Amino acid sequence: MSVLRPFKATDMFKFNNINLDIWTETYGIGFYLSYLSRWPDLCCVQEAPSGRMMGYVVGKAEGASTEWHGHVTAITVAPEYRRLGLARKMMGLLEMVSEEIYKGFFVDLYVRCTNDLAIDMYEGMGYSVYRRVREYYGSMGVGRGGRDEEDAFDMRKPLARDPHRRSVRANGRDMIVSAHDVS
Amino acid sequence: MSAAALDRQIRPIYDALDTNSNKSAIVACNKLLKKHPKNELIKALKALALVRSQKVEESLLLCDEVLDLKPTNDAVLSAMMHVLRGLGRHKDMVTMFEDAYKQQPANEELGAQTFFAHVRAGHWKSAQQIATKMHKQFQEDRYLYWSVISAVLQANDTATPPSMRMILYKLAHRLITSSPTPSYQNTDRFHLHLSILRELELYDDAHKLLDSDIGKAICSTSLSCNEIRRDVWRLRGMIQDEGRLAEARIVDLKDRNWLEFLSILDATFSYLTPSNNIGLSSTSETSRSECIGHLAKTEALFTRIAQEDGTKDRSAALALLELEKRAQTHGISNDSGRLVALMQQYFDQVGDKACFFEDLKPYLALQGEELAKWTTFLESVSTSFTTASELRRLINAHKSLRHNLTQSDLTVEAETARVTLYLQQYLEGLKLGTHLPSTELQYADDLALLTANVLVNLWRLTSDEQYVLNAVTLLEFALTKSKQSFQSRLILIRLYRLLGAPSLALEHYRLMGIKQVQHDTLSHLILSRASTFSLASTGDITLATECLESTQIYLSNSQETADYVVRAFTGEKYSQIPEFITFEDRLDSSLQRDIVKMEHLRMRLSHEPITSDIIDMELIELKFIFDRAHHDNRDFVIFANYQPRTSDDINSQTFLFGQNESRGWLWTFLKLYIRAFQQGSDLDDTVEEKLLIGDRPKQTFDADKRPPLKERLVQTSEEELAELTQDELLFVNFASALAEWLEPYHDYTRPPPAVVLAEAAKQTELKTGHPLKGVDLQALNGASSPVKKDEEPPSVTEPPELVTKFFDSLKARFLEVQKNVSPIEALHVATLAQEALLLFTVESLRFKSASIVKVNKLGALVASFKCIRSNAVAALRHISAELLKQGELVGSQESRKALVDACATVTKAGIDPDFAVDVAKKVTDSRKRVLEGVGKGLSRVCLTYAH
Repeated sequence: MSVLRPFKATDMFKFNNINLDIWTETYGIGFYLSYLSRWPDLCCVQEAPSGRMMGYVVGKAEGASTEWHGHVTAITVAPEYRRLGLARKMMGLLEMVSEEIYKGFFVDLYVRCTNDLAIDMYEGMGYSVYRRVREYYGSMGVGRGGRDEEDAFDMRKPLARDPHRRSVRANGRDMIVSAHDVS
Repeated sequence: MSAAALDRQIRPIYDALDTNSNKSAIVACNKLLKKHPKNELIKALKALALVRSQKVEESLLLCDEVLDLKPTNDAVLSAMMHVLRGLGRHKDMVTMFEDAYKQQPANEELGAQTFFAHVRAGHWKSAQQIATKMHKQFQEDRYLYWSVISAVLQANDTATPPSMRMILYKLAHRLITSSPTPSYQNTDRFHLHLSILRELELYDDAHKLLDSDIGKAICSTSLSCNEIRRDVWRLRGMIQDEGRLAEARIVDLKDRNWLEFLSILDATFSYLTPSNNIGLSSTSETSRSECIGHLAKTEALFTRIAQEDGTKDRSAALALLELEKRAQTHGISNDSGRLVALMQQYFDQVGDKACFFEDLKPYLALQGEELAKWTTFLESVSTSFTTASELRRLINAHKSLRHNLTQSDLTVEAETARVTLYLQQYLEGLKLGTHLPSTELQYADDLALLTANVLVNLWRLTSDEQYVLNAVTLLEFALTKSKQSFQSRLILIRLYRLLGAPSLALEHYRLMGIKQVQHDTLSHLILSRASTFSLASTGDITLATECLESTQIYLSNSQETADYVVRAFTGEKYSQIPEFITFEDRLDSSLQRDIVKMEHLRMRLSHEPITSDIIDMELIELKFIFDRAHHDNRDFVIFANYQPRTSDDINSQTFLFGQNESRGWLWTFLKLYIRAFQQGSDLDDTVEEKLLIGDRPKQTFDADKRPPLKERLVQTSEEELAELTQDELLFVNFASALAEWLEPYHDYTRPPPAVVLAEAAKQTELKTGHPLKGVDLQALNGASSPVKKDEEPPSVTEPPELVTKFFDSLKARFLEVQKNVSPIEALHVATLAQEALLLFTVESLRFKSASIVKVNKLGALVASFKCIRSNAVAALRHISAELLKQGELVGSQESRKALVDACATVTKAGIDPDFAVDVAKKVTDSRKRVLEGVGKGLSRVCLTYAH
């Protein structure tokens, strides 16, 4: 049970219960404002009836010709609201808007190679690994998980505009690119 | 030299500016200026480098020179834009672009820049006019929409009188309907159009737009347009239609947005709302039976969806609860046991989720039989657990039970028993999570938080510090098991401050990684009344630095947010523009910002020598703040509160000194310091007007109706004073008696404005080689010695008792609170006593000069200063010595041992006693440090200001 509504600039005053969690980064105000000033329809919030924020997603549309797609820049859910399917609903909205409004060919997102839970979840939603990006999370250094800790999977899900599923491939996990090659 | 060659030479200046090498930029500019002394661009770039190296006066000169040339060149304008922004001269920026646009009226880019300059300055009326003009000239639809939203923004501006609001909305409406292309071509234009119609209550027009195929299509993909649609339908009384649409979305599209469920709920009960039975004393029978019929249908629908969704989605299950609750409120529920039955079902279904308690909170306020039934149910939840899911159920049962406890359930014995129970279950529960990686939270965490809540409540009941110590030890232990539990840290920060161990609070605060906008919402945790713990008087500026760091965000806001407003204009995202402006304003006029400013000032005065420069600068800053309409953005709901609904929440239970400072506190201190600085300063309004560069704060429409500042400074209200502690109130009374007493002498001795201005001009000339513009240096002639006035000086009166007795009474207060276990009251009184001496120094600084005293015949006044000062210093020295003694005492082995002994509750439950020793050591060390620091600082302040 949650309200799905647009992300507003003033939500920055109330997202502490989400952002104090270590997995969620708090960016400068320019980050949120730049997304809102260009892709407000790709940014939304899940909120409890009490007004408490539960999670949010921030996305954009980018790419040239057949690479034109919706991108999930940040998606996060507060610890106490996890495992309730909130991420799925927010992804649903982002996919719908990417398809209907932006007419994108696919939606993509980056995920740490060690984050099996998230990878499983995205696979369940129809995403598949398109490529592996070396040292995408480089700033963290090689952690306990070795290379997997700093590499990211670029995962994609084709939209209706790509009926032949040209934006995905089966052997994506073996396709390795460096962080410089992706935007 | 060719233009290209000059270009090549200018490029390094840009590079230097880009890398922030302002010095080398200045050198490069100077070199080029020798060859091209008239080049506007080089001058503008030099002005920019100067402003960035804080050389404001020199920059101003160049800046004015370039402005006088009325530049139109792109590069010059853009460099000047940065210069003027750095100087806070938005109004001059507007003039610059306007002049340029006037010279090249066909230049569309210049038109847009002029429009944006007005946007940045918040001049909505002029912005609207320019956009209209641009639309006529360049025939671009977007400029028409710019003018539309400018009118809307002007309507919403606080500088606009309310009577103008509707007129401006009507203007916006007229403009938007004049558009050659329909607004639905662009979602954000459509949104703007709808919001104007809604404001003007033209619901039928709005509905017509929405009812078109394209309108429907937009609402099906745009959350923000759909938001307005929902509103318009409701306002048009289309509640049933909205209910049907919501049902279709839930059933056919599987939409589970809670807003859809609310629409169905509203439709179900719409028969009973007042609008449907105007003139009837009670609801008519027909509408009652209609409602009951609808209720049955809705119940069937929700039940079906709940069954379909099962554990996948809890919306329908919760909607059933809401349905029953509303039915009860309207008196049409026929089964008194149903609500509790549904709650039990909900527990069975969602009880193992962390969100259960939050979900159910609105329904927990039960009474009588219902409550008894619910309580029995919860008490039957198994207290043994072998899985995380069972543990979560138990935790949810505990939280729900606790929520409904009454005052009679909250005895010391009962609460103590709860501590024992939760603690034992917490330690047991940890075993379930031994395999979890260190980045995960423990399943049992909430039991530790629950225990801490109960311990805090026990402390409030008994004032016995041992409960706080046990809570601290427990939460520190919990953090070793669950490293990322920010909830534990939040409570720890509050508790450490209550214990008088501020360095430990700061440590945890820093570990939370607060950054960016969080500084505004969360810095209250550490900076509220932080001057109590400040060691700035000893040269340790940790907390003062923390204040400055937390205010960086306001700088980013004023530098960046307007850029994004401009971007939203360029990208035509009209829905965002009012939101960005609200955001900018809420941050700019943040209450926390100015509370921190005040704390920083209080620390600063104890650290830096008090001079007339500080007095002048702070005076201007405080006056800017004074008329702000403050927004309270502080996040107090972040705490994990598990206190019963009948008692205070954990946030208010743990405020330092039991008081939350807010607008009243800030206002009281602002008035106090502005008054003192005004007396101590030579700057009167006319001087300030001449010397101040940059824009003045924006005023609300009724600003000119306010009484003069001088009158407002002496106004007080009970409400404001209620936010002060008893000791702060003493200080405030002292300050106002002091100001009252000294006012006539300040007013008499203050040099006339012309002399002050001339002196300032002289100083500027010495610094920059150029005199200040518009200032007559003549006044200074012969004014190097104090001016002798025609009228007689006011006769010197005896100081009021509130002033002469103040330090003795504060010393007595100190000796009284010194007996408390926690040192915070003692620190509070001590730092206020110190502040009083510093304030006295501010107030008496003017009379330091022997010649001023002599000319104005104020010898008797200075004699009474001497008395007051020596009395103050004696009291402060005494307090200082006591603090040092106390510091020694709390740092001793015995007091550490006493702290460890006090932690028996948690150590007996199984937390390693050695762990408790560590915590106790940290607490005693931190206490010792702050007591000794403040004590030493006091004697240092005494030394500085003894004479």
